[in-house]
Amino acid sequence: MAKRVHQALTDEDLQSVMGGRGLPRISLRQRMQMTGVDFDGLSREIRRVKEESIADLPRLVEQFKAAATRNGSVVYEARDGEDANNYVLRLAQERDVKLIVKSKSMLTEEIELRQYLEKAGISVQETDIGEWIVQLANEKPIHMVGPAIHKTLKQVAELMSRATGRELEPEPQALLQASREALRQYYIDADMGISGGNIIIAETGTVVILTNEANGCMTTTLPPVYVAVVGYEKLVPGWEDAAAILRLLSRCTMGMKLTVYVSHISGPSRTDGIPGIPGLPGQGPQEMHVVLVDNGRQLMRDSGDFREALYCIKCGACLGACPVFTSVAGHTYGYIYQGGIGAVLTAFMNGMEQAKDPASLCLGCMACKDVCPACIDIPAMITRLRARSVDEDGLSWKSRLALRSILKHPARLAGALKIGSYLQKPFTDEDSMIRKLPSPLKSVAETISLPSISPRPLHSRIKGTPSRDKKASPRVALYAGCVADYAYPELGEAVGKVLGETGAVPYYPGGQSCCGAPAYFAGDVETALNMAKTNIFALEEGDPDYIVTVCPGCAAMLKKEYLSLTAGEGEWRKRAEALAGKVRDFSQLVLEMTPGVEKKPARESKITYHDPCHLKRGLGIYAEPRELLEREGYEIVEMNGADACCGFGGETVLNYPELSNSVMQRKLNAIEAAGVDTVVTSCAPCIMQLRGGLDKRQSKIRVIHSAELLAGDN
Amino acid sequence: MADIEELVEQFKADATRTGAVVYEAEGAGDARDYVLKLAQERGVRHIVKSKSAVAEGIGLREHLEKAGIEVRETDIGQWIAQLAGEEAGSETDKTVEQVAELISRETGQKLEPEGDVLMAAARRFLRQSYINAGMGISGADFGIAETGTMVNLSNDGNDRLATVLPLIHVTMMKREDIVATLSDAISRIKTLVEESGGGQIPSYITYHTGRNTTGDIRGALMARAQGPEEEHIVLLGNA
Ligand code: SF4
Repeated sequence: MAKRVHQALTDEDLQSVMGGRGLPRISLRQRMQMTGVDFDGLSREIRRVKEESIADLPRLVEQFKAAATRNGSVVYEARDGEDANNYVLRLAQERDVKLIVKSKSMLTEEIELRQYLEKAGISVQETDIGEWIVQLANEKPIHMVGPAIHKTLKQVAELMSRATGRELEPEPQALLQASREALRQYYIDADMGISGGNIIIAETGTVVILTNEANGCMTTTLPPVYVAVVGYEKLVPGWEDAAAILRLLSRCTMGMKLTVYVSHISGPSRTDGIPGIPGLPGQGPQEMHVVLVDNGRQLMRDSGDFREALYCIKCGACLGACPVFTSVAGHTYGYIYQGGIGAVLTAFMNGMEQAKDPASLCLGCMACKDVCPACIDIPAMITRLRARSVDEDGLSWKSRLALRSILKHPARLAGALKIGSYLQKPFTDEDSMIRKLPSPLKSVAETISLPSISPRPLHSRIKGTPSRDKKASPRVALYAGCVADYAYPELGEAVGKVLGETGAVPYYPGGQSCCGAPAYFAGDVETALNMAKTNIFALEEGDPDYIVTVCPGCAAMLKKEYLSLTAGEGEWRKRAEALAGKVRDFSQLVLEMTPGVEKKPARESKITYHDPCHLKRGLGIYAEPRELLEREGYEIVEMNGADACCGFGGETVLNYPELSNSVMQRKLNAIEAAGVDTVVTSCAPCIMQLRGGLDKRQSKIRVIHSAELLAGDN
Repeated sequence: MADIEELVEQFKADATRTGAVVYEAEGAGDARDYVLKLAQERGVRHIVKSKSAVAEGIGLREHLEKAGIEVRETDIGQWIAQLAGEEAGSETDKTVEQVAELISRETGQKLEPEGDVLMAAARRFLRQSYINAGMGISGADFGIAETGTMVNLSNDGNDRLATVLPLIHVTMMKREDIVATLSDAISRIKTLVEESGGGQIPSYITYHTGRNTTGDIRGALMARAQGPEEEHIVLLGNA
């Protein structure tokens, strides 16, 4: 996998069309909300429709079959790809079909229908221009909506020139004209048309397809035999349910209110035009077949944990939002469905084993979840996938070493890192940055300059539990988190200082360990639970009113994941709940403690704010840090993609440093383009990543936690 | 109920934004002239037409034919009426034998008066018309203001072919036939299906919004794809 990542990242043509675009200013979701689209309302509606439909699937299947049959269609239920392919092939052979035109369909790519038919000697012509390009290049689609978005004009021109036998210039209009001319004849000559289906309506036995190119209308209307190949999960009860999906699907795929053509097809073409002989076959297809395909979907439905994946409407919004996809593009995943959702689908269509690699690419930034119109919690499913593979084959020895033996035991971790802080001496530059490391960490240090491990970590700097007599002031327990504890103890000190000034009593409860996120997201639930218990116990010390951390990843663990980890653990679950209620982000707590403070006069320094993934999408906090900074007199210049991932992503840095780097470079470009002298953020790992990356660029821009900024001001 | 003017405005705005040209005709004569002028300016000699109450109501076919443009009806019933020299929009009352004679004469083949035989010949003959035509004219059963969409119900699918195959496509629609939202559209569809008797859902219900486009070729975002180069919508009032 690392090799494929490397290939994608060093493919100049690919990078010129993918990463080269830079970060979008705002996310798809924000854009829609700004233009007055009720994204939340519409996506809740899709979610409802999908949940109910999948729950009621067996009944809907029967209803669909009955209605479609009444319309004169033939419905075939296929177990898997082989079964479906075979049905279509047999039908084609029986009808003596020589040429098939096909419109775009992810399902037929999933089951490789075209290849199957071609092997049997039937010509199959893709008619979506993007699919045609992919067919000519003999590749798989790179994106579920834009199959050929990775091809440069020059590449397209070469492919089309070869196909049409004409010398075509790499000029968009010329290529479009050539496609139109070449494809037109195929529709006319074809004996069969094949499409997928975006939605199928049980009530009326209807197949709904959305297209923009008009190829869908031609494919489904011109040839005498029409076959729709559709997954079971596309079933909805009625037309209103279909409309809910239509509304957002069009928006998410093409940014349109509706795609240009939405065809609702309910049976073969018929006419009453000849007087006295009603119901004759009309000018369109005389036969319509609907092949309903399972291919792992039933398993997904039964799995419970992964049922959500069936709610996917294949809009591709998550891919556009995914920092990994937009860096390495779809082929790197290795299977037909891309991105995080693709990893889950792959698990059921190709096997758990096959899903491991694609799942390992996930940075856990949650950008996908944020834009998904079906509100699918893709990151949670990725975690569950990883947990499954840990259950099945255990962790790799490297991860085991890191997760089990060190992170679990705080003392051992402290010890190891202390030794580390001596060992690192030869590599540490005067400003305590590490710019080179020996293998195996060489590639990481090449990407970012690392902070050196502090010989005096946070836990040895801040005093322990305050005495009882200060009971009147709120007591704030600091939870350090690994990065801040060892790399940036001054961060914790700054938080302590600022909070102290607000009248709170900050203290550092002993016995804390790593929050368990690395283990949890690597799928090692058992280790994570142990760590959760260690920390719950530790953070009960001194009975704090609040718990603050400078690592939102840790905060999200304490606040959310501990609840699910302790779900079956009785008393522990109650204690986890109590803990969760106390966790605050730094800015949130400062605002809470000092309401009504007046805005300070404007300052010289221009800053930009980087939203940590786990803070914004994990905990929903993005307004508070800005409010606090503005209150302190700072002018915030918003960069493009302020909430785009910095590329740190825990394990990914270790497994795919190159990928992490590529994601980071875009972030750094956006930061530099903002024209500021300071990047403020609220997350120790983000600080590590951004400082390290900017240092490599020899940039003068400083990266700082808002607590440090505030602590330094006073 | 929302004001018709408001619905028209919204429809126009969205249809225009998505690449269609909307023309609000002053009256029947104006609408006829708009289409004729368009055809003449683009040098169109053959037109395929599907059924449209608006077009039939204003004698559009006759108007174009008088100007020397060949207009072929593609709805089978209408085509037969056309072959029989009947006025557009009239229900033909010919017998199968007479129909066989008409179609035989037009296609130059001797055809038996059997449904399947006649339809096979009609299919072949009309297919060529779509391919040759420089313009397609169709009606819309109604429009959707929210999205600038035209909705068409049909069993044959001939309207779909007339809509996507020729280089220029014109939709004739009544101003009063614009509903506000997608949900209203669905209610309207249900009513239309019920009214048509039998209650069987039409084989094709097509929502059509703006001009076809593709983003598949880099550097040509929102370029015309495989359908018409131009989309025109002629709106006509009741009066
Ligand atoms: S997971 Fe959600 S965002 Fe991604 S393609 Fe499916 S529906 Fe769209």
